[in-house]
Amino acid sequence: MEATSDMLPLIVALPFLGALLPGIVIRAGRDTCTWFTLFPTALALLMLLLHAPGVMAGEVYHWRLDWLPGLGLDANFFLDGLGLLFAGLILGIGLLIILYARFYLSKNDPMGQFFTYLLLFQGAMVGIVLSDNILLLLIFWELTSLSSFLLIGYWNHLPEGRQGARMALAVTGMGGLAMIGGMLILGEIAGSYDISVILQHKDAIQASDWYLPALLLILLGCFTKSAQFPFHFWLPHAMAAPTPVSAYLHSATMVKAGLFLMARLWPVLSGTPEWFYIVATTGLITMVIAAVIALFKDDLKGLLAFSTVSHLGLITMLLGFGTEAAALVAVFHIINHASFKAALFMTAGIVDHEAHTRDIKRLGGLRHLMPVTFVIATITALSMAGIPPLNGFISKEMMLKETTYAAWAGNPWLVPALATFGALFSVAYSFRYIWHVFMGPVRDDYPARPHDPGFGMWAGPALLAAIVVGIGVAPFVVEPFVNVVAGAVTGAPQDTHLKLWHGVNAALFMSIAAILGGALLLASHRALEAGWLRAGPPAAKAIFDAIVGAATRAARGLTDGLHDGSLTRFSAIFVVTVTLAGAIAWSTGEIGAPSRATLPIAIVPLIATVLLVGATLCLVAFHRNRLLALVLIGVVGLTVAVGFAYFSAPDLAMTQLSVEVVTIILLLLALNFLPRETPRESSGARRLRDGVLAVAGGGAVAALAYAMMTRDFALPSISSYHLANSYKGGGGTNVVNVILVDFRGFDTYGEIIVLGIAALVIFALTQTVLRGAGGRFLESQGRPGGEAGDRHPLMMVVATRVMMPMALMVGVYIFLRGHNEPGGGFIAGLIVAIALLMQYMASGFAWAEARQRVPYHSTIALGVLIATATGIGAWFNGVPFLTSAHDYFTVPGIAELHLSTAVAFDVGVFLTVLGAVMLALWSLSRMARRTGEPVNVEPMDVNPAADAASSREG
Amino acid sequence: MTEILTEASAAEILVSVFLVISGVFGLVGSFGLLKLDNTMARLHAPTKATTLGVGGILIASMLYFLLFEGTLSFHELLITIFLFLTAPVVAHFIAKAHIHRHESPDSTPPTGCARPWATFETDEMREAVEAAERGEAATSEARLKAERG
Repeated sequence: MEATSDMLPLIVALPFLGALLPGIVIRAGRDTCTWFTLFPTALALLMLLLHAPGVMAGEVYHWRLDWLPGLGLDANFFLDGLGLLFAGLILGIGLLIILYARFYLSKNDPMGQFFTYLLLFQGAMVGIVLSDNILLLLIFWELTSLSSFLLIGYWNHLPEGRQGARMALAVTGMGGLAMIGGMLILGEIAGSYDISVILQHKDAIQASDWYLPALLLILLGCFTKSAQFPFHFWLPHAMAAPTPVSAYLHSATMVKAGLFLMARLWPVLSGTPEWFYIVATTGLITMVIAAVIALFKDDLKGLLAFSTVSHLGLITMLLGFGTEAAALVAVFHIINHASFKAALFMTAGIVDHEAHTRDIKRLGGLRHLMPVTFVIATITALSMAGIPPLNGFISKEMMLKETTYAAWAGNPWLVPALATFGALFSVAYSFRYIWHVFMGPVRDDYPARPHDPGFGMWAGPALLAAIVVGIGVAPFVVEPFVNVVAGAVTGAPQDTHLKLWHGVNAALFMSIAAILGGALLLASHRALEAGWLRAGPPAAKAIFDAIVGAATRAARGLTDGLHDGSLTRFSAIFVVTVTLAGAIAWSTGEIGAPSRATLPIAIVPLIATVLLVGATLCLVAFHRNRLLALVLIGVVGLTVAVGFAYFSAPDLAMTQLSVEVVTIILLLLALNFLPRETPRESSGARRLRDGVLAVAGGGAVAALAYAMMTRDFALPSISSYHLANSYKGGGGTNVVNVILVDFRGFDTYGEIIVLGIAALVIFALTQTVLRGAGGRFLESQGRPGGEAGDRHPLMMVVATRVMMPMALMVGVYIFLRGHNEPGGGFIAGLIVAIALLMQYMASGFAWAEARQRVPYHSTIALGVLIATATGIGAWFNGVPFLTSAHDYFTVPGIAELHLSTAVAFDVGVFLTVLGAVMLALWSLSRMARRTGEPVNVEPMDVNPAADAASSREG
Repeated sequence: MTEILTEASAAEILVSVFLVISGVFGLVGSFGLLKLDNTMARLHAPTKATTLGVGGILIASMLYFLLFEGTLSFHELLITIFLFLTAPVVAHFIAKAHIHRHESPDSTPPTGCARPWATFETDEMREAVEAAERGEAATSEARLKAERG
């Protein structure tokens, strides 16, 4: 049965929306903050539970939204039994964790931050389990990696916290990358990225050649997330997180995501020998190894962490068996494990919180001091050990029964024997948790005097312990639910009867053996531990660090080799790569015969060419004299500007001219801080090499340009479209400007933002230099000697003052005509910048700056904001971002005026360009002032007006 | 017919005269730039002669548009203003740079007073002189007041 539910996206969105609140309301106090965190979680849970009756009746709820249909990425959600189970666990245990965290976190911990991270994580997890699109699922998957990184590293003052968070992110993030590949393959085979569609293509997928690669990649993602061997090592290190995080991530959520995905894709992926041998074997190995390690962990949370890994292995193994009965047991154990493990983590946190230590060796005898905690811990630990009549016993019995059906490479004994061995250790560490922490004599050397915490802290675990007993005594209560979930996993209706007593069978004997053996192991723990320490098992962290270190060194070596900060090397590599790629393309591709006649050589282009070539050759010869080099660059720039004008590109010519002026002035400023001559540093051979490279690169570009210009384009160019639509669509006759502010307005929008950022970066860099060693260096350098007096000559000052209004007028004029004639915001910005630059040059930076009222940072920001507002304005017109509207207005007395919203956008461009240029200039001028450049109060040094005034006064 | 032709010819001749004048000044300016032997002398050629030459072309252009097209063109005036503003400033800076590279306070002609040429006067020197002047003014003012009082 299918149904649509509009609540599904809301359930996913609620935690994300709620994440905005805790950070704000923390100012209102910790309790308010907790309420505001509980509220979205509870609301989402309520909405989820409203669907429960329908799901129990076999309904599957859908909600679809085409997001990026071209990529196959749609915001599709669906809710069936499996989704209900996991979303219920995530939200339900989430509620208990929030309550617990309220009392667990100390006053010094930033609680708002914690709850924000927690809700982000919760939202991502709910997103995973409700997604009906594997690409959407991948997004949520990566979000859990990121948000869990924040949670694990929450105590970022502790190195273990930071290292654990990095390790978790590296391992799960890499698994996520592998999974992207697997998911894409899976989607390609099935022809859809929708899970509900993929699930119906079992035969096609399993018959495909790509089945094994897809399986491996997806399992890599699942195994890393669910901490399966050999990726199990990150989970214990993630225990550096606060206990609520450990309890949440490692009982109900994050590590279960891998299991969830295996269960979700179980119908299409399972049932093959590959699936059985990879999944079941990995699960079995993980279960046994982690159980053994757990017994020898002295850290309470370390013990629980490895026991979690072990139980995850158990569930993985069950899913790996590939039978419907085993899948049902897996589902049942997921429920049971979540209930007892979350409670156990919380009791561990309580012990840590009250006794100020988690070291089992320093604990013992707590039953008299913390009776409530003792009862909760005992019930849940016994459930973990699989003691009747608790829920852990039922699922363990069923698990052992399933193992007896699994034959590994034809050997029917191997799997049951190893499973019993793992269960044996599981019993041992569970008993140890009770015996070594709560039993024994009361000690007098606890770091703090332990006592039971307040109700708020033990309410959550107590509720879970009640559930543990409830399911154990009356399994028939959850029986319909388990059947529905298992039906969702297997894709076939299930009707298994859950009961506490299965009669006398093989599983019972295995269970009894495990319990007796476990008790025996605990009794001989001291001797075993000595042996374990002597054997010295490999430390996963050292191996991980070595691998990460090697990868970092390799990456750094490669980067340093290619890009070591030497501009010469960088451009040499670039030129060689591009030229070689071009040469390969040239030799393997084909090109038609020249189809355009070459023009006769006219006199004007000839002169320009001679100028260009001459200036370039001179630059090569005289480049060591930096001032001369700048002049020669100016010659090249101006010739190019003339060239643009000659070839009917007035816009380009104007832009080139103004850019040229501004650049030369900025470079002149920079020259202040450089030696006059470039020193000779490279050997002759090296110069020869660089020369060859330069000639090869330049020759290749020239050849390519020649080849392009002597042939017509293979396809019709876009120019004709622009010419035809410029006036109609953009409302302007200047096609260049219409392209900039309309057709490709979004590009321009991005570019002005980049420009603004670049200017801010220049400011930030000079600011840093000035504050640091560079500033002290400049100060110690002082002014170079032999400077001219009369630095602000009368004639220059007066001329620039006269020019100022004229230049501004030209700027306004160029701006206004921009949409129809050559001009526009960019050029106008540069012209106004030049007008201001002249004032700086004439009277000095300090004098001009004192008269400047608007900071250039604000000019940049205002420009970007105006451009954004113009773009957004289009939305109110019901059209996409940055679509321009235009109309004609008659202004009496002037003329008919053609106004387009693009003009407002152009104002944004204008302001940003102006602000960026001036900010860069200002930053450089501040460096000059740091060297001790004198600051003048008068606009000019020799000031007849001042003399006249003073003589009048006299 | 002939009348119109002669009238047109007169206008043409007028425009041509200015073109020729501008050409002569331009040529002289360029020749001077090549021929004169030191920077200070060479400075005069482009800044004075060539500026006049460009001025001639601009007048010719204005006349042409006035007489032949019947419109008054202002662009040339703008160019003239810009030229008159920029040429002296540029010449001033070239001269200044030249003095500092190749001359010294001793090799330049005397200023006729105790102060050196402005371009050789450091900020400290100028401030000292100005302070002294202000002091003098203040003392003379005080003396005047005292006399009146």
